[in-house]
Amino acid sequence: MHPIFQSWKVFLLYLAAWVPLGAILGLLISVAGLLTKTETAAIVAPVTVLLAFICLSPWYVCRGLPLRSTSAARLAGQHLLAAMVVAAGVLLAARLAASGFSTILPGLDRRFDAAAPVLTAMVAMIYLLSIAMHYVVIEAQTSRRSELLAREAQLRALKAQVNPHFLFNSLNSISALTASDAARAREMCIRLADFLRTSLRLGERASVPFREEMELTRMYLDVEQVRFGRRLRLHEDMEPACDECEVPALLIQPLVENAVKHGIALLDEGGEILLLARCVPQGLLFSIENPYDPAAPASRSGIGLANVRQRLEASYGNSAKLEVEASADVYRVTLFLPVKSLPMRAAS
Amino acid sequence: MKAVIADDEELARRILREYLERDCADVVPEIEIAAECANGFEAVKACGECKPDVLFLDIQMPKLDGFEVLELIDPRIAVVFVTAFDRYAMRAFDAAAVDYLLKPFGVDRFRAALEKVARRVGETRPPSLPADLKNAARPAGEYLERIVVKDGTHVHVIPAGKLDYAEAQDDYVGLRSEGRMWLKPQTIASLEATLDPKRFVRVHRSYLVNVERLKRIESNTRDTWHAILADGARIPVSRGGYSRLNALIGG
Repeated sequence: MHPIFQSWKVFLLYLAAWVPLGAILGLLISVAGLLTKTETAAIVAPVTVLLAFICLSPWYVCRGLPLRSTSAARLAGQHLLAAMVVAAGVLLAARLAASGFSTILPGLDRRFDAAAPVLTAMVAMIYLLSIAMHYVVIEAQTSRRSELLAREAQLRALKAQVNPHFLFNSLNSISALTASDAARAREMCIRLADFLRTSLRLGERASVPFREEMELTRMYLDVEQVRFGRRLRLHEDMEPACDECEVPALLIQPLVENAVKHGIALLDEGGEILLLARCVPQGLLFSIENPYDPAAPASRSGIGLANVRQRLEASYGNSAKLEVEASADVYRVTLFLPVKSLPMRAAS
Repeated sequence: MKAVIADDEELARRILREYLERDCADVVPEIEIAAECANGFEAVKACGECKPDVLFLDIQMPKLDGFEVLELIDPRIAVVFVTAFDRYAMRAFDAAAVDYLLKPFGVDRFRAALEKVARRVGETRPPSLPADLKNAARPAGEYLERIVVKDGTHVHVIPAGKLDYAEAQDDYVGLRSEGRMWLKPQTIASLEATLDPKRFVRVHRSYLVNVERLKRIESNTRDTWHAILADGARIPVSRGGYSRLNALIGG
């Protein structure tokens, strides 16, 4: 449906805009001295009404022939052809109007032929103009929609980021520490503040160096360490060359949070999270491995992973990969991110 | 009064201990913490051994979650849920918990919960809500993926996919899984309400069948049928059950 029909006000405004347009058209014809004022009005009024509706049709044509993906020759050919057809149609209608009015205004049907070329040219031009206007409207709409999508993704990322339950549980730990161990309570406050501040800072950027995302991840794990104590253990195996690879901001930390929430937290004895990063040709390979309880009811972590997939698709198309493997008691998420500018390997 | 604390986080247990023993010692005379548990199994075991009056119960824990623990313990034990999640409040209400504490909570809030417990000590927890309300208490589209049963002092977990059928037996429901029959004090209607209706069909007043186990349906007499399951079990199917099966399988 044409967007102009979305509201009555807009549609009426559009029709009102045709009043001066029709006036100009009439003025051109009567100034040329081809027809009298009354005769001009008799022809131009129905033509203008007809045009007002015909000039909405490019909406469908323009969407079928997007500016970016259609060749200039095809664009010009198709639209010129359409303009010619429209002009011919309108001319036919005008001629019918002329012969109809010739009973009141004798001789109009004969004199009309003189005005026909000017009228045809004007109609074709107006139609071409309306095509251009439609492309402008469509372009504005698309850019607004992609902006909305981008903002939505950002919001979702933020929402996924500061998980309220993580926050509440951490505050509960702080509350527990205040009476017996004030120094540790204070330390935990500071760790939590560091994590929140850093994640807000990184959240403002689309991509960050891998090193910074890992710093955030460690801050998160520092906080969880207070909650889980010895149950949470970490082993890192990172190639230093990965440090400067650009990765989407706030993508890795939530994955590690999943490993804690759905893995470690549901294991009596906890376990070790293994983080592995490798520089491979064309990109960065990152994996998170954690033990889990296969008997625990499947949780909602699938939603989080779907979120990550969407973000990867938005920033890399289909060249990034996310793989999930669950063996008997180990859960592994592997991430491949293509990196455009890999840092030069030292000394090689 | 005897209390048991069940939470997998040491610090979360610590704050409950402090409130109970130090800050709210005046609410209930001679409160004693009989056990502290770090997972669901331990909580069930401690409740059986210590016979506490009140259980402070976290919801997300290793082994068994808080709701599973609640199903398996003596209904005379007053349960206070202690969790960071507010989305379980409806289910806690359904399970007839005495109170629902949201982490972190202050001394005053805890005192109020303890006073509620003190008024309720010794009362039997009312039976769970009717099936239709039970459905309302569960977030849409979320069903139990496993059923827990007590087997003596042990806890057995039956994944929903491994349940062949359930059979009403007086105040119990018999659960057939992997060649064994497990008994659980529950009505078949309330079990039905917690399981995914696309996987489990009430084929008879007394029978609930796992559709994946269904092999064929034999016509018996007019208006009665038998469902034959993969392990050869013959389950009676009523007229209503037959049309429910047909509606689901579309055959």
